[in-house]
Amino acid sequence: MSVPTLTFQSNDGVEITVARDVAERSVLIKNMLGDLGDTDEAIPIPNVNEAVLRKVIEWCEHHKGDPPNTGDDDDSRRKTTDIDEWDQKFMQVDQEMLFEIILAANYLDIKGLLDVGCKTVANMIKGKSPEEIRKTFNIQNDFTPEEEDQIRRENEWAEDR
Amino acid sequence: MEDNAELESFRRQWREEVAQRTKHTRPAPAQPRPSKPPTAPTSQFPSTRHEASQHEEEHGGAASVDHGEIIHGMGHLNVQPSDEDAFHAPASREEPKSALEHFERAVEKEAEGKLGDSVQHYRKAYRLDSAVDKTYRNKYFAAAWKKPAQAPTSGGTTGKPADQQSKDETPMLPTPELIASFAHLPIPQAEPLIENTPPPPCPISHVPSEVLVEIFRHVALMDPATLCRMALVCKRFAYHFAHEQHIWRRLCQGSEFGFKSMHYSFACDLHGNPEYTLATRYTPFPQAVPVQIPEPFSSWSEVFQVFPRIRYTGIYISTVNYTRPGAAAAYQNVSWNSPIHIVTYYRYLRFYPDGSVVYLLTTVEPRDVVPHISKENVKAARATTQKQHPRHTSDAAGAAEATDPIPHVALEALRHAHRGRWRLTKPVSDSDSSSEDAQSEVPSAYESLPDKAAASQSDPRDLIIETEGVGPKYMYLLQLSLRSTPVGKSNHPNVSPPNPSKNTKLAWKGYWSYNKLTDDWAEFGLKNDRSFVFRRVRGWGMH
Repeated sequence: MSVPTLTFQSNDGVEITVARDVAERSVLIKNMLGDLGDTDEAIPIPNVNEAVLRKVIEWCEHHKGDPPNTGDDDDSRRKTTDIDEWDQKFMQVDQEMLFEIILAANYLDIKGLLDVGCKTVANMIKGKSPEEIRKTFNIQNDFTPEEEDQIRRENEWAEDR
Repeated sequence: MEDNAELESFRRQWREEVAQRTKHTRPAPAQPRPSKPPTAPTSQFPSTRHEASQHEEEHGGAASVDHGEIIHGMGHLNVQPSDEDAFHAPASREEPKSALEHFERAVEKEAEGKLGDSVQHYRKAYRLDSAVDKTYRNKYFAAAWKKPAQAPTSGGTTGKPADQQSKDETPMLPTPELIASFAHLPIPQAEPLIENTPPPPCPISHVPSEVLVEIFRHVALMDPATLCRMALVCKRFAYHFAHEQHIWRRLCQGSEFGFKSMHYSFACDLHGNPEYTLATRYTPFPQAVPVQIPEPFSSWSEVFQVFPRIRYTGIYISTVNYTRPGAAAAYQNVSWNSPIHIVTYYRYLRFYPDGSVVYLLTTVEPRDVVPHISKENVKAARATTQKQHPRHTSDAAGAAEATDPIPHVALEALRHAHRGRWRLTKPVSDSDSSSEDAQSEVPSAYESLPDKAAASQSDPRDLIIETEGVGPKYMYLLQLSLRSTPVGKSNHPNVSPPNPSKNTKLAWKGYWSYNKLTDDWAEFGLKNDRSFVFRRVRGWGMH
C-alpha cells in the first residue's frame, strides 16, 4: 500500500476510507493515532452522520496541503471576512447542514473548517437587525419588552452613532 | 392566574371600547389628527384658540392617553436604526396635513438645521391649531410628565400601561444581574408558522457555547455594531455579549476597529503619502505582550467604549448655523420686518486608518455629498478641474460623466476638499514617556507650533489634524478634542439611563493657518464653530 489510509465509521454505520494525511487535519484523530498507534479497525465517529462526514472529508482533502494553523489572530492573517472561493462554494449548503459541519469540525477539532463555518454564519448575521437575525435562524424572542429595553440601553453605545 | 389575566385583558378591552364610544367623534387613537381641529369641538367652540378649547383638548388627551399612540410615537423615534446610515434622499414624502404633522416636520427640519423650512412648518402648525405644541408634547413626552398625575385616575380610565403593570409583578433587576441570569438559557426556537406542524428548524440552538462565542468573535471583527444587535436577539446571546471579554480585548488590540489602527504620531504627509519610520509605532495595547486593562476601567468592553478612539465607519459632521441681519429693500418706505439671513454650512471629516484624513468645508448638505467623500473622489474631482482648463472641455466632461457616477454637486464640493493627516495624543502622561518615545515621533516640519496647541498637549483625547491650505504655501492645523454626548438623567428610578456611544463628538480647541514661506501662524476665529458629530455611513470601514 502506497498511501496509508484510515477507515471512519459514521454514526449511521457507513464506513469511509480516507488517506491518513487527510484524516490528520483533524487534531482529534491525529492525537488519537499518536496515543494509540496505527489501527486497521474502523474508527467510530459517534456524533457525525455519513453525509456530514463526507463533506468534512471533502474539505480536508482540498485543504490537505495548507500550512498548519499557527495560532489565530495575528494581524498577518487574512482579513476576517475573507473566505476563499472554494470554501464559499463548499459552504453553500442549507443551514442545518452548515451547523452540522460546524459541530463536526468542532468535535473533530479541525480549526480551519470551524473558522470557515463560523465566518459563514457571521456573514449571515452581519448588518442585520435583531429581528432579522431571529428570522434568519428561527430564534424566538425570549425577552420581556422591559428586559429588551434594558439591554438595548445598556448596549446602546456599541451602535456607534 | 391565567383566567384572571384573560379576564383582566377583556375588561380592559371593554373599557376601552366604552371609552371610545363616549368620545363619539374623537378619531381613533393611532391615526394622525385631522387637518382641521376635530369636527365636534369646532361645532361647540367655534374659535379653537379659545382657552376652553385648549382645555378640552388637553382633557381629552389625558382621559384617553392612548399609550398605543405614545408607544407608536416612541417607536418612530428609535426603531430602524439600520436605515439611518443610508444618507439617501428620503423617498418623496407626503406633505404634512394636520397641525401635528406640520409641527413634527418642523421639529425634524430644525434638527437638520434647516431653520427656514422649520419656521415655515411651525407657522403652518400654529395657524391650524394654536395648541399644537401641547398636542405634540402629549404625543411624545406624555410618558415623562403624565404618569404621576395619572395615577389617581387610573382606576376609571383604561388602566396602567402594560410595562408598568409587569413592573409591579416582577421588580426589575439591575442589568448585570439580569444578564447573569441568562447564562444557561437555551436559545429559544421559533414557534411553528401553522399550529400542529413541526417548528421551523433552528440548528443554531444545538451549537455549544464555545462555537457560539467563536461566531460572535467573527461578527465582532466584521462590525461591532452588529454584535450589539445580536445581544438583543435572545437572552443567551445577551449573556455572551456581556461576558466574552476576550472578544472585546481582541477588538481593542486589533486593527479592524481597535487601537492598533489609532495613530499617536503622524503616519503620512499632508497628501496622504505614507511616511516610514524604523521605530516601532506606539500602540496602547500591543498584541505580542500580555496587556492589562488600563487603570480606571474594569473590563475590555469598557475600554473599547471609553478609551479615545477615532471611527472609520462614518463621517464627522459639524453643522454651523448662524444668522445675520440683512438690509430691508430701500424702495419700501414701510418696512414691516428686516430680513434675516440664515446661513448653514458644514464641515466634514473622514478619517482613514492609514493616518490620512479628508477635510471638507461646504454648504452642500450631508445627503448630497457624504456618500461621495473619499480620498479617491477628491482626487477624481481635482483631476476633472485640471482637464477642464484645456480646450477640450466637453470631451473631458463627457468622459468624466461616463465613468464617474459622482453627482455634479458633490464633485464641485469635493474639488475644494483638503487632504491631511491626523494623530491622537499619546495617552501616557509626560512623566512616563521616555526620550525614546519622543524620538519615534515623526518630526514635524513645523517646529514652532502655536503656543496654545503646544501648551495643552497632555489630554489623551486631543486630536491633531494638519491639512492642506488654500494654496501650496499654507498648512492648516486643527486641534480638536474627543467628547461624549452628555447623558440626560432618566426620571425613572427603575430604568437605566441611556448609554450612548462615547467619544463620538469632536470639540474645537483651536484652528490655525501656517504660512510655510514666512513661518507665520495665524489663528482662525472659532465664533461660529460647532462640534463635529459622528454619523455612521453604510459600507464605510467595514471588514
